[in-house]
Amino acid sequence: MGTYVRRRILQTVPLIIGISLVVFGIIQAAPGGPEGSLLGTGRFVDPQVILSYRHRLGVDQPIPIQYVRWLGAAVSGDLGVSFATTRPVVNLIVERLPATLELMASSFVFAAIIAIALGIYSALRQYTTLDVVATGVSFLGIAMPVFWFGLILQLVFSVKLGLLPVAGTETVGATSLADHLKHLILPAFVLSFRNVAGWSRYLRSSLIGVSAADYLRTARAKGLTERRVIGVHAVGNALIPLVSIMALNVADLFSGAVITETVFAWPGIGRLFVQAMFARDYPVLMGILLMGSFTVIVFNLLADIMYGVLDPRIRYE
Amino acid sequence: MRRLSRAIRTPLLVALSILSGCGGTNSRGGANSGGKILRIAYDREIDLLNPFTSQNLVDISFSMIEGLVTTDESNRYIPVLAMTIPTKENGLIVSNKDGSLDITWPLRQNVQWHDGVPFTSKDVCFTWRFVVDPGSETYNREQYLGIQGCRMPDDHTVVFHWDGEYAFYDGLFEAVLPAHILGAMTAEQIVKYEPFNRGSATVGTGPFRFAEWKAGEYIRVVRNDHYWRGAEYPKVDAIVWAFIPDANTRLNALKSGQYHYGRIQPTQVKEVAGQADYTIHLIKSNSVMHLDLGIRTKHGQALFAEARVRTALFEAIDRKAIAEQLMEGTVRIANSPINPVSRFHQPDVTMPEFNPNTSRRLLEEAGWTVGSDGVRVKDGVRFSFVILNRAGAADRIVVAQVVQSQLKAIGVEVTFETLESAAWTQRWRSGQWEAVVSAWFLPADPSLTGLYACDGANNMAGFCDPSLDTVLKRSDHTMSFPARKHDLDEVQARLATTARTLPLYYNVVPEMVSRKVGNYRGSGTNLGSFWNVYEWTLAP
Repeated sequence: MGTYVRRRILQTVPLIIGISLVVFGIIQAAPGGPEGSLLGTGRFVDPQVILSYRHRLGVDQPIPIQYVRWLGAAVSGDLGVSFATTRPVVNLIVERLPATLELMASSFVFAAIIAIALGIYSALRQYTTLDVVATGVSFLGIAMPVFWFGLILQLVFSVKLGLLPVAGTETVGATSLADHLKHLILPAFVLSFRNVAGWSRYLRSSLIGVSAADYLRTARAKGLTERRVIGVHAVGNALIPLVSIMALNVADLFSGAVITETVFAWPGIGRLFVQAMFARDYPVLMGILLMGSFTVIVFNLLADIMYGVLDPRIRYE
Repeated sequence: MRRLSRAIRTPLLVALSILSGCGGTNSRGGANSGGKILRIAYDREIDLLNPFTSQNLVDISFSMIEGLVTTDESNRYIPVLAMTIPTKENGLIVSNKDGSLDITWPLRQNVQWHDGVPFTSKDVCFTWRFVVDPGSETYNREQYLGIQGCRMPDDHTVVFHWDGEYAFYDGLFEAVLPAHILGAMTAEQIVKYEPFNRGSATVGTGPFRFAEWKAGEYIRVVRNDHYWRGAEYPKVDAIVWAFIPDANTRLNALKSGQYHYGRIQPTQVKEVAGQADYTIHLIKSNSVMHLDLGIRTKHGQALFAEARVRTALFEAIDRKAIAEQLMEGTVRIANSPINPVSRFHQPDVTMPEFNPNTSRRLLEEAGWTVGSDGVRVKDGVRFSFVILNRAGAADRIVVAQVVQSQLKAIGVEVTFETLESAAWTQRWRSGQWEAVVSAWFLPADPSLTGLYACDGANNMAGFCDPSLDTVLKRSDHTMSFPARKHDLDEVQARLATTARTLPLYYNVVPEMVSRKVGNYRGSGTNLGSFWNVYEWTLAP
C-alpha cells in the first residue's frame, strides 16, 4: 500500500504540470483580456492607459513566455499577483478558502447523514410511501437547477417567513455563532440537496444488490441480530461504491459551490473564481483551477485508498 | 464504519475551527460596532480603494476619500474640498498672453486627513503629479495632460497652469490623495500599494473612515468624528457595503428588509412597486442606450456607408414601443447622446419617427430591392447583418431582438453573435462588427469628441466627418458655456441628420431605498448616489 501511495503521489507532479499547461492554454485562448474590466464600465478610457496596463501585467508578452514565467514562479510557491486587486493570489485563495471549506464540509456531512439514512430506509422498505416520496424528491433534487432552488428558498424562508438571512455569512453589528449558523443553513442545504438525492439512490441500489448475498444468509444463520446483519455486514459492503462516489463528488461540490456562493453571496473560492473569470484575472484563475485539480487528484487517491480499507479483498501493488 | 466516521470527523473539525472565526478580514475595528448602521446591498465587490486606479465605479471610496469637486443630484459639479469652483467671472481663471491659463483653486481650511494630518495644497499637487504619470493607469489621465504645472502660493491655494482653455477643467480631481502617505512612492508603487488599496492605510478627508474589508463579503466604514463639516456630520455611525452581485439575490435581500439601499434592474421595478417600506427612485443615469452601425468591416461598409440607408433602418425601429413596452415605461426615449439632465442637452433635435413605409421607400431608392427569400439585395449583396451581443446584458439583448423583428418587416435580416463580456469588449473595441446595442456612461460634463471624431479613441463605428471634427474639438477647448453649448447643439443636430447612431432611450438606474433613510438625493453620474452620504439619516 505504501509503495502504491508513493507512486501515485509522484505521478501527481507531471499530471499537475500537464494540467497547468492545458489550463493556461484554455484561459489564454478565451477572447478578451484583463483590460476588459477597465473598459467594461462604459467610461471613456485613455488608450495609452490600456497599453500601459497590459505592459505592467505582462500580458503583452508571447504566451509561451508568460507560461514559463508563471511556471517558474509557481514551482517556488508564488502563484503571482491578481491583476484586478494587485494582491498575491495565494493570499486571495487562503482568505477565501475557509468559507468554501466550511460550506463544502457542512453540506457534505449533512448530505452524508441524510443520504445514508434515507438510502437504508428506502432499501429496507421498498415501494412504501416514504420510499416512493424519497425517490420522487431525489429525482427532483437531481433535476433542479441550484440557482433556482436557492432563490426559491430565499423567497420562502427569508422574504416570506423572515426566518433566515438571504446572503452573506454574518449580520454586521450583531455577529454571533448562532447568527453565523443561520446564514449557513440555506446555502449548505442547497449545496447538499443534489448529493442527498444522488447518494441515497446509490445506497438504495447497492443495498438491494447485496441483500441476497450469501454472507448475509450466513450471518443470519449464525444467529446475529437483524440490526447487526444490516448495519454491519450489508451496509458496510453497500457503502464501498458509495464512498468512491462521495470522494469524487467532492470535486462536484467545489463546482456546485461556484453557483451556490454566487446566489447566497457566500465569500468563498467559487465567487472569487467567477469574479476572476469575468475580469480575465489569469493568475487568480490559474491558482484556483490548479487547486481544484489538485483536490480532484487527492480525493481520487483517497477513494482508492478507502476501497482497500473497506474491502479487504482489494490489494494494491 | 469506524474508519468512515473518522473521514467524516475531519471536515467537521475543519468546519468548527472555521466557525471559531478565521477568515480573510482586513480590519481596523471590531465587527460589532453597534449604533446606526446603514446597510447597502451593493452590486459587486470592488477591486481596490484607490479611486484613480480602481476599475469599478468608486462610490464606496468616495465615502472616505473626497475630491475638490463632486456631482450632485442635478449632475452639476459642486465644490467639496475646494471653497469654490474657479470661473472667469469670479476671477479665479486668468488668461495669459500666450494663450495659457492660470486656474486658482482656493482650498478649505481646517480639514484633516483621518490620521489627523492637515489637508493642504501639497496633497492636491501631489495628486496631479500621480495622475499624469503614465504609471498611474488613471482611466482619464489624458484629461489632466493640459496642466503644465502646479503652484502652491500657500497651504490653502493651488494654481494650475494650463496650456489653453479646456472645457472639463472643473470636473477633474474628484479625489485627492494623501501626500504624507503616498508622496515618497513612485506611481507604479502606489498602484500596487496594498495598505492603501485595501484599507489599512486608506485615509481620506471624508465623513467615514475605513474599518474593515471582509474579503468577498463586505466593506465597513465608520463615522469620522473629526469631519470638517462639523460634529453633527455624518448622521449615521457606520455603513456596511455588502457585496451581493446576483440581481435576484439582491432583490430578495432588499425585500426581506435586511438592507436600506440597493440598486435593482429596470425589469424588477414593477415587482417591488408596492413595497410599503421602500421607495423606488428611477435615477436618470448619464447613459444612453443606442444602436450603432459599424463600417470598419467590408460588409458593414457595403451596407451602412450611405446615410439614407441608415435613416431607413432607424425609421423601421419603434423606439416608443421599446421604451414604453419593453422597458415597462421606466425609461425615456432618447434623441441625442447627451442626457436631458445635462445643460448641454438639445431637446429640439429630432430623430426619425417610426415609419416602416418610408423606410421601405428609402431602401428602394437606394437600390435595395426585395429578393426571392424576402431579404433585400443590391449588387448581389444581401441586406443581412449581425448584431454583436454581450452575454448577460439582458436589457441590450431584448432590445436587439426587437430590432431584429422590426427590421425583418422591411426585408432586412438580422442575426446575433453573442460573446461573453470580456470577449465582447475586445471585439467591440476592434471595430470588427456590423452592429451593436450598447450604452456609454458619460461624465457629468459630456464630451462627444472621443466618440464621434475621426480619430476619437472610442469611435469604433468608423465614421469620419472632418467638418464635424472641427466643431467637436472647438467645443472641448472653450470655457464659455454659450460657445460650448452652441457647438454641442450643432453636433447633436448633425449626428441626427446624418444618422450616425440611433439613440434608443436614456438609461435609468432604479434604486430601492428604505423609508427609514432620510436626505437621500440620488445622482446618475459615475460618482454615484452617495455624494451626500454625510447627511443621510437613519430612523429607528
